[in-house]
Amino acid sequence: MGSGHWSTDVYTAAENYRRSTGASAFAYSDSGAARTHPSLDPKGVVLRESRDSDDHPDSLAIGVLFDVTGSMGAVPRALQQKLPGLLGLLLRKGYVTDPHILFGAVGDATCDRAPLQIGQFEADNRMDDDLGRILLEGGGGGQMRESYELALHFMARHTALDCFEKRGKRGYLFLIGDELAYPQVKAREVSKVIGTRLGADVPIEETIREVQRLYDLYFIIPEGAFHTNDRRLRDFWQDLLGQNVLYLDDPEAVCETIALTVGLGEDAIDLAAGLDHLAEQGSAAGPAVSRALARLDASRGAVVRSSAPAGLDPGAGPAATTRL
Amino acid sequence: MTPHVIVVDLGFGDAGKGTVVDRLCATEPVAAVVRFNGGAQAAHNVVTPDGRHHTFAQFGSGTFTPGVRTHLSRFMLVDPLALAAEAAHLASVGVPDALDRLTVDAAALLTTPYHRALNRARETARGAGRHGSCGMGVGETAAYALARPDDAPRAADCRSPARLRRLLALLRDRYYAEFPGGAPVPPVEDCAAAFLAFGTRVRQVDSSFLPELLRSGPVVFEGAQGVLLDENHGFDPYTTWSTTTFANAETLLSEAGADAVRLGVLRAYATRHGPGPFVTEDPALTAALPDPHNGTGPWQGVFRVGHLDEVALRYAIDACGGMDALAVTHLDVAARRPDLLRCTAYTWPAPSGPEHVTRLPALPARELTARLLRARPVYAALGDAAEAAAEIAGAPVALRSHGPTWQDKQVAAPLPHG
Repeated sequence: MGSGHWSTDVYTAAENYRRSTGASAFAYSDSGAARTHPSLDPKGVVLRESRDSDDHPDSLAIGVLFDVTGSMGAVPRALQQKLPGLLGLLLRKGYVTDPHILFGAVGDATCDRAPLQIGQFEADNRMDDDLGRILLEGGGGGQMRESYELALHFMARHTALDCFEKRGKRGYLFLIGDELAYPQVKAREVSKVIGTRLGADVPIEETIREVQRLYDLYFIIPEGAFHTNDRRLRDFWQDLLGQNVLYLDDPEAVCETIALTVGLGEDAIDLAAGLDHLAEQGSAAGPAVSRALARLDASRGAVVRSSAPAGLDPGAGPAATTRL
Repeated sequence: MTPHVIVVDLGFGDAGKGTVVDRLCATEPVAAVVRFNGGAQAAHNVVTPDGRHHTFAQFGSGTFTPGVRTHLSRFMLVDPLALAAEAAHLASVGVPDALDRLTVDAAALLTTPYHRALNRARETARGAGRHGSCGMGVGETAAYALARPDDAPRAADCRSPARLRRLLALLRDRYYAEFPGGAPVPPVEDCAAAFLAFGTRVRQVDSSFLPELLRSGPVVFEGAQGVLLDENHGFDPYTTWSTTTFANAETLLSEAGADAVRLGVLRAYATRHGPGPFVTEDPALTAALPDPHNGTGPWQGVFRVGHLDEVALRYAIDACGGMDALAVTHLDVAARRPDLLRCTAYTWPAPSGPEHVTRLPALPARELTARLLRARPVYAALGDAAEAAAEIAGAPVALRSHGPTWQDKQVAAPLPHG
């Protein structure tokens, strides 16, 4: 007698029950919804907060924002599937003690129904609920730009992090996409989408510097996406973020890439150890993650991580570049 | 009309209850399989004629037959996490609707990751004196419910988020209080999310459900473990925290004003998974007859094989108050092994010299266990194992099993009406 046969993982169980109902993980979007879910609507949101609590005294904020237009729709679906793996790696391998993860989605404020969707920082499976409510936009404008700058503006001015305020430690922010941002955060769009008033438009470089006060910012470009091979895409983000642009040749490996990037950033692992952890988990993402992070890993030894955000010192580092 | 049937294992488990239940459901118009003891630690292996295999733990072993429902009665200890994984495996072997065919009594106790962690920490702390627990937390679930009946989570709590979180937090705290350096367990929130998903997905019913179910067609009550592991009749402390006789099933039946045929299942030879007395154990048989579905488990320990034990069988039959019919399995193996024996009596040391016993005396539980650990078997040639069992049980052999699938089972006598 006795089996011990059936896996008793809490995340798998929740996912199995949900899947067995026939409901999609993106039930909201797949049910034909046409507007931002109220819980993800940034309009009128003063702050999304990542705060310490008794359960999570050492919170670390991790934001994950992805482009949900066109071909990028597969990314959130992969994220949803692999979320347990992401959390598992971060927690069980001790990369982070108390991660707070926020999910959001970026569209195009000039034409989309849901130009910006922003969840809450969550420490538990509720982040799953936020993912499930994200509206996956179909089309994509064709102008090769999405309103990433608007999302960055929100993260810079409408989030508050205890890791930063109490411990001077920045969070992590990942943007996942395959297009350019608009060069300015437009006051008109901020007013329409977020509901606050800006005296004037803000150049994206300035917004990025604001974000980088609070977060280590990465832009992940999944290969095989629509504009991946367009030189302008690489130049645009590399000029803004330097080595923090990650090229991922397997869009399914986004979760693993995020986990290992945080592990590297926290000095919890080196790349080889992280890849071992992936293999241990039975993840096939290793090779793709390895290629995506090789450059970052190689530069880690040379880069001195200071609490002053990269790019604030004039001329120091690629983020200070203003060529557009 | 075909009667209701209760299927109970007359040994230490692993006799083949699953395959017998599968046979009954595949050939009779069975409405449902009802679980009436144990929990997710049950492991009832069923192989279909087309070669698919599933180890049934919480779903009834008749689930491969379309339309056969499973009902988890209030005597069952339900593990929502393992249940989800089992449902996923069933889907992968061509049974996508197992959860749709499931009902659970709202009063059934729940096994949580915290029970499991307590179970493992405690068993580890026993060191060499391990009880052969399955490490699934079933005993902890029963013990906790006895000690703190109001705090033990039940299926119904998976529909009350706030209460569920409170009960889970109490359990987690108890675990860390007892084992401050214990292995990590999942956060309460994560556990609650999965349990709430179970509460939403699986249909819960009250005590009025089973009587209706019994009226809707023949029902098979599927026991878990074996009578020789029974919490009251097993050989202390090598017992399971569960009533493994017909008793729970008969309680449920009598509440519904129904009755059933009592079917005892027996292997043509003896097995035991894990430590504890096993008088007819034979290392040569253990080596020669490995079980395809029972290896050495990290928690239960080794799978051991021995000869048919008439003394233990007599004891088991007495413990469960007799039966109406037998199902004898692994007759194909017995046919291939002329060296198999039957143990007709034990000898054990006594102050006045060696004693010869054919029936176990009424002794305090630990004393009985101590004697059994020193007992030696008295053997005779096996002959026909089924006939020997029928003689001892005073009941006909209704089913003879010569292989793993339901098609390998022959009806030797019609099931008598209970």
